[in-house]
Amino acid sequence: MSKRQISSAKVLSMKEKNSKSQPISRRRFLQSGALAGAGLFFGAPSVLSSQARNAPSDEIKVGFIGCGAQQQVLFSAMRNIPGIHYQAVCDIMQDRVGGAFGRIRATFGYSPNRYFDAEEMLNEETDLDAVIVATPDFWHARHTNWSLEAGRHVFCEKMMAHTIEDARSMVRTAESTGKLCQINHQRRSNPRYRFTMQELIRKNRICGDIQNINGQWNRSVSASQDIDVRETILPDREVLRKYGFADAHQFLNWRWYRDLSGGPISDLGAHQIDIYNWFLEDTPKSVVASGGRNHFRDREHFDNVMAIFEYDTPLHGPVRAFYQVLTGTSAGGGYYEAFMGTEGTVQISEQRQFTDIYRESGAPSWDPLVRRNLLRRVAASAPADADDAVASYESPPLEKYDLPGVLNKPVHQPHLENFFDSLRGRATLNCDARAAFESEAPIFWVNPAADSREYIRFTDEHLTVEGARTAEY
Amino acid sequence: MKNISFVVLLSGVSLALLSGCAEPGNGTERAEGAGGEPEAGQVLHQPDFPPEQIEGTPEEGELANVEGVPQRPPSLRFPAGAEIVSREKPVTSSDDFPIIGDLSYITDGNKRAGEGYYVELMPGPQWVQIDLEAEHEIHGIWVWHYHRQERAYRSVVIQISNDENFESGVTTVFNNDYENNLGLGRGRDRPYLESRYGKPIRVDGVNGRYVRLYSDGNTANEMNHYIEVQVFGIPAGS
Repeated sequence: MSKRQISSAKVLSMKEKNSKSQPISRRRFLQSGALAGAGLFFGAPSVLSSQARNAPSDEIKVGFIGCGAQQQVLFSAMRNIPGIHYQAVCDIMQDRVGGAFGRIRATFGYSPNRYFDAEEMLNEETDLDAVIVATPDFWHARHTNWSLEAGRHVFCEKMMAHTIEDARSMVRTAESTGKLCQINHQRRSNPRYRFTMQELIRKNRICGDIQNINGQWNRSVSASQDIDVRETILPDREVLRKYGFADAHQFLNWRWYRDLSGGPISDLGAHQIDIYNWFLEDTPKSVVASGGRNHFRDREHFDNVMAIFEYDTPLHGPVRAFYQVLTGTSAGGGYYEAFMGTEGTVQISEQRQFTDIYRESGAPSWDPLVRRNLLRRVAASAPADADDAVASYESPPLEKYDLPGVLNKPVHQPHLENFFDSLRGRATLNCDARAAFESEAPIFWVNPAADSREYIRFTDEHLTVEGARTAEY
Repeated sequence: MKNISFVVLLSGVSLALLSGCAEPGNGTERAEGAGGEPEAGQVLHQPDFPPEQIEGTPEEGELANVEGVPQRPPSLRFPAGAEIVSREKPVTSSDDFPIIGDLSYITDGNKRAGEGYYVELMPGPQWVQIDLEAEHEIHGIWVWHYHRQERAYRSVVIQISNDENFESGVTTVFNNDYENNLGLGRGRDRPYLESRYGKPIRVDGVNGRYVRLYSDGNTANEMNHYIEVQVFGIPAGS
């Protein structure tokens, strides 16, 4: 029931049609030339050619488990990477399987095999090299472990698992099978983030000692509504139940349910708290948190969460890090992570508009860094109003800087490239299962901290793969 | 704030190269779709807007001069007596085998953003065409491409004709293809961010039976999408 092919004649017809309808546009030609010439962009020029292909023998055969919205995002990023053969797609919803199938056929002119059950796909597709897991969080561990045990490398969405014990199992399976397992904390491969971490914070220490971190991802009420789907395309209730969903609402809105997801703190916060730990090269020693259901009162998860992590870092000393995720307001200037130090602050985001860098007035000059093109000075700050400054004991205005370039490809593409380069032996994973576990482990304890209103001091039981299983949520 | 996310990723070099091309216009009153105060004999139309449903991480776009999401619900001004003439009318397309969805969604009156409400067409330049089944005096068109993610569609061109093949008697009523990628002429309308408000386009009484809408992918991917298109008009000769 799950594997179907369309006729080759149909495929050929579509391929011919597609090739006729995709002339190289002048716009894209100009853009490519300009990007290569300007030399200001983070990213390899090779990605600008979406049709470049490796030799068939070098192709990596890929299957997707989960073909919802995130799979579309990943495919849009992957399609620019040469040397991938999209061999199979799997989802429990027929419309999503059809969409993934159609996009591959429309883009590459061949037809992937279609499945409605992941185990069947893994049993049938015995020559897959890699599996992309983009299912709801509570399925990640099973899909990843099954794939690894079947001998496939895995690229799995974050949060890597719904429970810390499931996450531990993924690390153990990856390490026992020797297969690669990359978790999609995509910022770890983003050249802007890597440049900021390695060049600015670690090597040139532009922040001085980082003492505080502030981060957020806030969304308006209107952007946090339930997912809506035409009822006629939903899987049958029997199918939904077989795969762990009580009903269609759970299937579509699994992020709001505690048995299926970690809620906003893991959906959104996991990306950014991962950056806290990565940039500090450490994990926190404690967490205290508060959360509530101020607007979406019927949801199981908090619709707003605030957490404070405390670190005792070898590189910077004590650090206190605040993070908030709100779904009742988009206030606060988008989503970012701000590293605040004695000599400067780096506020970084995947979006350039939310990225700002400030030098404290007493810090050594950053002009040498500007001359080396490591920073770009934005503009001189306006002098503070004298009366207001005195009245408020205001600090001198800060000089504002920016990163010297932008990312010229989809934000997920560098992390996928790193995964496929690692499969070919040309790189090592930027966020393997163990690294992801070590970074995600503190996040598993935010909801319990908010539930109990208790300060949680972390031990190895909370944060390590090998930790005892007594620290249960 | 939303329009800011579409930063210009073109360097000085590329801007210099583009300077010889037609720049996108600064927006026209027609393109803004603002109704303003209706004149005598005219009405101000505002449809039922679907709920906002934004998902996922926004991608930074690379289009220049993108028009942001309206701060207020827009409206469309047209003569009294004009009404929706596209509801349930047949739709054809350059892609007769949509990747997902059905062409009939485009005129079914449903403007919601979720799965099962939109049709996805092949990558590259594609068109959809609504047959009004009779000549009409057209005074407005309202388009919802896709509003589940902040994105802008490239090379949006809308034409009206009595010729099913659009080989003669063609009137272009919207064109933001400012590099003439489609070969239909350089447009001066602005690219715009998709939202639940859709895009109202005022048309000054153009006669035609067919309405054709072109696009060439979007800032998130190379696919083409339509949720709903509404055409407002009066039967010709009435």
